[in-house]
Amino acid sequence: MSVSLFKDVVKPIATGFGITLKRLSHKKETVFYPEQRREQYPRTRWRHFLTRYESGLERCIGCSLCAGACPARCINVVAAENTDEKRFSPGERYAERYEINMIRCIFCGYCQDACPTGAVVLRKNFELADYKRESFIYTKEMLLESFPGEADAPWVGEYEEVK
Amino acid sequence: MAAVASETVNLVINDVEIAVPKGELIVESVKRLGLEIPIFCYHPRMKPVGMCRMCLVEVGFKQPDGSVRKMPKPQAACTLPAQDNMVIFTDTEMVHRDRKGVLEFLLINHPLDCPICDRGGECPLQNNTLFYGPSTSRFIEVKRHAHKAFPLSKYVTLDLERCIQCGRCVRFTEEISGDSELAFRFRGASMQPSTFELRDFTSKFSGNVIEICPVGALTNREYRFRARPWDLETKPSICLECSNGCATWFDYRVNRLVRVNGRTNEAINEEWTCDRGKFGHEHYNADNRLTVPLIRRGDRLEECDWPTAYAAILSAFGVGGDKVAMLAGSSLSNEGAYLLNRLFHRKFGSANVDYRRTAHTLPPDEAAGNAPTAIADLELKPSILVFGNSPADDIPIIFLRIRKAWFKHGARVVVAHHGETEADSFADVVLRYAPGTDADLAKGLVAARANDAAGVAQAAAACGVDESRIREAAALLGENTAIVTTDSLLNSASGADAFRALRQLGGELNRYALGANDQGFADLGLVPGPDGRGTAAILAGCADGSIESLWLAGADPFAFGDRATVEKALEQVGFVVYQGTHKSEAMGFASVVLPMAEPAEGDGTYVNAERRLQELRAVLSPPGEAKAAWRIGAELALRVGMAKPYFGAKDVAAEIFTQVPAFRGVAFGDRLN
Ligand code: SF4
Ligand code: SF4
Ligand code: SF4
Ligand code: FES
Repeated sequence: MSVSLFKDVVKPIATGFGITLKRLSHKKETVFYPEQRREQYPRTRWRHFLTRYESGLERCIGCSLCAGACPARCINVVAAENTDEKRFSPGERYAERYEINMIRCIFCGYCQDACPTGAVVLRKNFELADYKRESFIYTKEMLLESFPGEADAPWVGEYEEVK
Repeated sequence: MAAVASETVNLVINDVEIAVPKGELIVESVKRLGLEIPIFCYHPRMKPVGMCRMCLVEVGFKQPDGSVRKMPKPQAACTLPAQDNMVIFTDTEMVHRDRKGVLEFLLINHPLDCPICDRGGECPLQNNTLFYGPSTSRFIEVKRHAHKAFPLSKYVTLDLERCIQCGRCVRFTEEISGDSELAFRFRGASMQPSTFELRDFTSKFSGNVIEICPVGALTNREYRFRARPWDLETKPSICLECSNGCATWFDYRVNRLVRVNGRTNEAINEEWTCDRGKFGHEHYNADNRLTVPLIRRGDRLEECDWPTAYAAILSAFGVGGDKVAMLAGSSLSNEGAYLLNRLFHRKFGSANVDYRRTAHTLPPDEAAGNAPTAIADLELKPSILVFGNSPADDIPIIFLRIRKAWFKHGARVVVAHHGETEADSFADVVLRYAPGTDADLAKGLVAARANDAAGVAQAAAACGVDESRIREAAALLGENTAIVTTDSLLNSASGADAFRALRQLGGELNRYALGANDQGFADLGLVPGPDGRGTAAILAGCADGSIESLWLAGADPFAFGDRATVEKALEQVGFVVYQGTHKSEAMGFASVVLPMAEPAEGDGTYVNAERRLQELRAVLSPPGEAKAAWRIGAELALRVGMAKPYFGAKDVAAEIFTQVPAFRGVAFGDRLN
């Protein structure tokens, strides 16, 4: 069987590069992470936050409903009583300790669903990798937003959001 | 429970024919078919009042022609006695609509703050609403508001907004505990259960209202916000705060006790607990728990390991004989006590062991057969004589039985005590004698029974009680009388004589033990032999140097002995083993400290006041290196080469069953022979 220079060599190469040429004009699908980040779907669920009311009071009332709903049983809530001198949340009860084990969490969002005050929310921050197991136990200090609305504020840092 | 009525009636419940005792409440009859009627105010141990209307059912009667004629309106099943030809419907359109209506109505003023309510998750109001209630409310007006979290007492918080006015708490204090401290104030929507003039709720049984309140209106101040029900693990336990041995649930969270609830045991506590038991377990969580063995080096106690501690003990107690002694504390398990007792008797050759803390003691032959009357049998006695003690303090759950005997079965009660007691409120005759004259009064009662006028007059003069009173009391007593005394009678100088006199009175003479397992120690023979010394003699022996080594097995002599005597004894004695759960003053005198587990932190068996043998399986794990009493005993036994190894408390119990006559052939939950 003889090999035809045109049919068997030139034509396939031309076809192949032809596709490449055509694609050059297409829109790019990859982004330069981490300088660029893709916009996420509205219901994306990653890192938890404990949110605050406008007044600055914590929304969480330490009711443990999130812990009860969690299928991975990775939330630990220890409640205590507010006093007029030391008030954390409206009403009688607040969470003295609030911990989520992020290695166990399956990001189902049931906790957010169960929460009667909208305190615990899952937001879009997905960069949760770390070096030590212990650092995956997110404490109340880590979860609680430092000012009302922080959880919904755009990510901090230099980056460009691409569609 | 009432005696089973012999007469039965036939009725039809949801098309099923069933025969039930005549007059039984329909709310109970439906349970026989495994059906459930939602309830709030009805409680099987209290009289029905029909206040909440949750239990509505449709009722009809079979007519001669075979048809069923329904009553036009639904009826409350909790106040409806069963009759012949009755036809009950619990599952009709109308019943469901009525239940929805009742719940919507009850929720009008309910704050629905379930997320912060300690009852949330185990709340009858939540459950009934979920199963039978409407999913929405039409009520948009402002709800009733009241003070949240009002501290009703040291133990109980009242949240009036949550109350559904069922009256269970009020009825409990009227019918069960008898102090009648709670009552309803005001009327209609403003009706509030509370104490009179908002005084402190001081009942000794106040904790029970927390459990029977069908909502979160009455909550536990100690448990407040400690956990939600789904955070808890729970295991059956028995209460060892006193000798009654009530059945309880131990609720714990991450190996930490968070609350104690009553568990049903018809033989002992029915379902109640006293406040001492319900709120008295905080010592499990105390900061001063002992967690490692300590040994004295110079004037300091230093941490050491168990073998070092054991070696030091065994060399100090090697002298043996009359030179060593042991005092046992009341919450040691049978297993722990048995092994230490055997160590002393067989290995150290010493009979100086004792558990008794009363000022006086009875000789062994008179001390036997302490408790002929079972607690549950008390309520069937026609008359009860309470002598020389305040039962609500000494034996709280037995007090509830005595009161029930009077309240439910009309028993005649005579209370003889030198101070006021809760039992006075329902006693037919109260004999308030001068302190220390117990024996005179007892002899007076015997004389009155024998119509010996001179004897009665003499006794009356001696004890300061009216002659006529003594006669009146004696007339109520007879062969079927249960006489209820406790070990506290032996704190009185004439207590032992009183006890002897009461023996001649006829009836069943009970001397109930006070400490958790005191009765078990008595049956195990944890008392000085004929040539041994008792508690007082042991302390005296320590002080005068004739005892060189003293073992405090769960006992803190400062808690019962006279301060100066105890201090002198502990200072003089050469070697003190402090085997205990907590740091205490006595520990300061110790040469070796052995950290011991609390009862619910290890396996063990205990004998309660009525000589019922009960098993307690470990609920929590002991802190640090602490060990259960049986384990300490077993390890020592092995070290002195006394036994084949015991692998668990069960092995020790098995040996007790074969070696100690009172325990032979007894099953857990039965009374000793
Ligand atoms: S997202 Fe799901 S698994 Fe993670 S904490 Fe919430 S409930 Fe638990
Ligand atoms: S986050 Fe929400 S559900 Fe969880 S404890 Fe706090 S208030 Fe309750
Ligand atoms: S406090 Fe509880 S038990 Fe008492 S009346 Fe109110 S709902 Fe009933
Ligand atoms: S349970 Fe029958 S009326 Fe309340």
